[in-house]
Amino acid sequence: MTSVVSAGKKWGASLASRPENVGLGVMLGLGFGAVALAAQWVKGPSSLLVAIAMLTMVVGLIYIAFAGGIEARKSLAPYGLLKPGMIWLCLFFLAPLWSMVVMSLSSKAGRFDFFPDFTWNFENYRIALTKFRPQFIRSFSYAAIATLLTVVIGYPLAYFIAFRGGKYRNILLGLVVVPFFTSYLIRTLAWNNILADEGPVVSLINTLQITGVFESLNIMQNGKLMNTPAAVIGGLTYNFLPFMILPIYVSLEKIDVRLVDAAMDLYSSASQAFRKVVLPLSLPGLFAGGLLVFIPAAGDFVNAQFLGNPQTTMIGNSIQDQFLRQLNYPVASAMSFVLMIIITIIVLIYTKFMGTEDLA
Amino acid sequence: MNTRRTTTPKSVQASRLNRRDFLIRGGLMGAGALSLPALLAACGSDSGSTSDTVGGGGGDSSLFFENWPDYMDEETIDLFQTASGVSMKYTEAFNDNNEYFAKIQPAMSKGNAIDPDILAPTFWMAARLLQLGWVQKLPKADIPNFAYLRDDLRGQSWDKNDEYHLPYQSGIAGIAYNSKITGRDLKSVSDLFDPAFKGKIGMLTEMRDTIGLILMGEGKKIADITTFDQASVAFDKLGKAKSEGQIRSFTGNDYVDDLSAGNFAACVAWSGDVLQLSKDNPDVKFIVPEEGGTSWYDTMVWMKGSENGDAVAKWMNFLYDPVNAARLTAYVQYISPVKGVQDELVNMGGDNAKLAEDPLLFPDTATFSRLQSWGALVEEEEAKFDEAFASVTGA
Repeated sequence: MTSVVSAGKKWGASLASRPENVGLGVMLGLGFGAVALAAQWVKGPSSLLVAIAMLTMVVGLIYIAFAGGIEARKSLAPYGLLKPGMIWLCLFFLAPLWSMVVMSLSSKAGRFDFFPDFTWNFENYRIALTKFRPQFIRSFSYAAIATLLTVVIGYPLAYFIAFRGGKYRNILLGLVVVPFFTSYLIRTLAWNNILADEGPVVSLINTLQITGVFESLNIMQNGKLMNTPAAVIGGLTYNFLPFMILPIYVSLEKIDVRLVDAAMDLYSSASQAFRKVVLPLSLPGLFAGGLLVFIPAAGDFVNAQFLGNPQTTMIGNSIQDQFLRQLNYPVASAMSFVLMIIITIIVLIYTKFMGTEDLA
Repeated sequence: MNTRRTTTPKSVQASRLNRRDFLIRGGLMGAGALSLPALLAACGSDSGSTSDTVGGGGGDSSLFFENWPDYMDEETIDLFQTASGVSMKYTEAFNDNNEYFAKIQPAMSKGNAIDPDILAPTFWMAARLLQLGWVQKLPKADIPNFAYLRDDLRGQSWDKNDEYHLPYQSGIAGIAYNSKITGRDLKSVSDLFDPAFKGKIGMLTEMRDTIGLILMGEGKKIADITTFDQASVAFDKLGKAKSEGQIRSFTGNDYVDDLSAGNFAACVAWSGDVLQLSKDNPDVKFIVPEEGGTSWYDTMVWMKGSENGDAVAKWMNFLYDPVNAARLTAYVQYISPVKGVQDELVNMGGDNAKLAEDPLLFPDTATFSRLQSWGALVEEEEAKFDEAFASVTGA
């Protein structure tokens, strides 16, 4: 009996002497356990075992933290701080992702087969990539155009607020965020009224007799603005604009204006100073803004649904339709996964060219 | 069909998903990998949540009815509770047939009960629920007022002996138009395909109403349609109109705004909505086309696993009392499935008596004879319809 206790103590002591390994081990163990439970790798009684194992790890960790003294606690702290985020990601990102991948390779026996069997059914991916190719292409083009537009609109605005805002800076920033006090959907539906055929914008364009200009730019179709690709891209741009302005503002605001003065002192023109000093220093903000706008815009379905026409549907609409109407969970999962992969690739390429080292 | 009442709440749901989506995406940004799984995960967790809402189960003295938004006055519930002693829980979270189906599917398909005892899906969804074995036989012996059910709603093809459902409200899908934009009165389905209205035509996302109307325009009888091949002509016609830019958009309830704003010259529409709308905007008119209009009904079903049969019977019997049915009609302004409502509305006097004269609430026999309704579609055929419709609507 005593030997068992002493062996246990010894084992405990040897672990306690390397608390960072324990910290890492417990973190990975808990993460794995969380995924196993959430993705239902284990079910019924064995899930109880996993839960007990996870609890034991936590109890052991607390014991070591107390037994090991201040040094042990110091080396455990970083893992302790990582744990909430890690478990969160395991439960709500990794586990659903796993279920989604499994689902995307499953096949249904009938329309109302709600428990498709996993069969390595790559047909789902073929459907996602062929039948829904137009929607994919459209989504990425719309998102790319919307991202560019947010830069064109957002950069000067952020620049103005950061350098010319003066004491009104906070008010101006607040105004940028104010639209978020309203529901996303209401903001989108408001565009419906603004762009309506008898609405203010179209009436103004008609009064100025410049409909032809807009038609030739392909912004208007048949004399209407609403339910055109331009309306969808406009909606995306409007809805995601603050996500571009805020990061750019943050990086501009940090720039020491004396750097610009220094550039001027060295005989650079205003535009040279901007190109060589301000712009490079604000790139991290542009980079972050680009991601924050492009990624949600590519998956958006609200703007296309309410501002678009049957020929402007985006991939989000198609996934929603496959999921909720066609009840085709495997194909919907495959489409989501493809979307995710493409976005990841785009982000990686983008990161390669824009660089993230300076991303604050 | 009830998507009409639904769009706002449904959309609120969409926006909520989206916000959550933003948050999740924001959080994952650093990882650089994301987006739709989060959305799907959000959908998934949302679907599960029905069964977690406040419990409605228990003894015979309680009842839980989950209905479409804005589909009943509160007085009716109070009166029922007083009269029957049943404690009733009433919610309006049924926003969309397909979405609600996706929501209850995880529980029902595993054989678990959901909390509501009664739902009122549109007839085709009720037929699907019956086909899946998710509803119970109604305790009709305890519903003597069943006798008041309108004759034309009896013996539906999917439930020939009226054993599993009791209609809640019914209505008509026809054509609504804004006479200021069209400049003339419309009378036929073919008016929807008039090139003069290019880019000004709206269609409903409710497949049976849109396709049904076009099929009638082609001279088909929709009750006879059982296979996709019989209906493909309508899909071709709709697809062609879409490619040519004739159709501006496919909408749910929001067609009401487009119609009164003048974005739509004409669209497929539901009678009840237009009735309301035309009061504010006399330019907006509703017709049952000469080729015919579709009739639909939302119908109450008793969900499997519910043990409150006694309360279910009491409720349905109460609702089918013409006095109570008339009060409901005065509030919701759809076509009541209960006989005798017209007389009761007259008895109520005032504005309600005027409703008794309304041809859209009480269609004359000539109009009634032009109405047709869909039969049940078998699983594989319905899937073909839904897929073909999705590809026309662009989704």
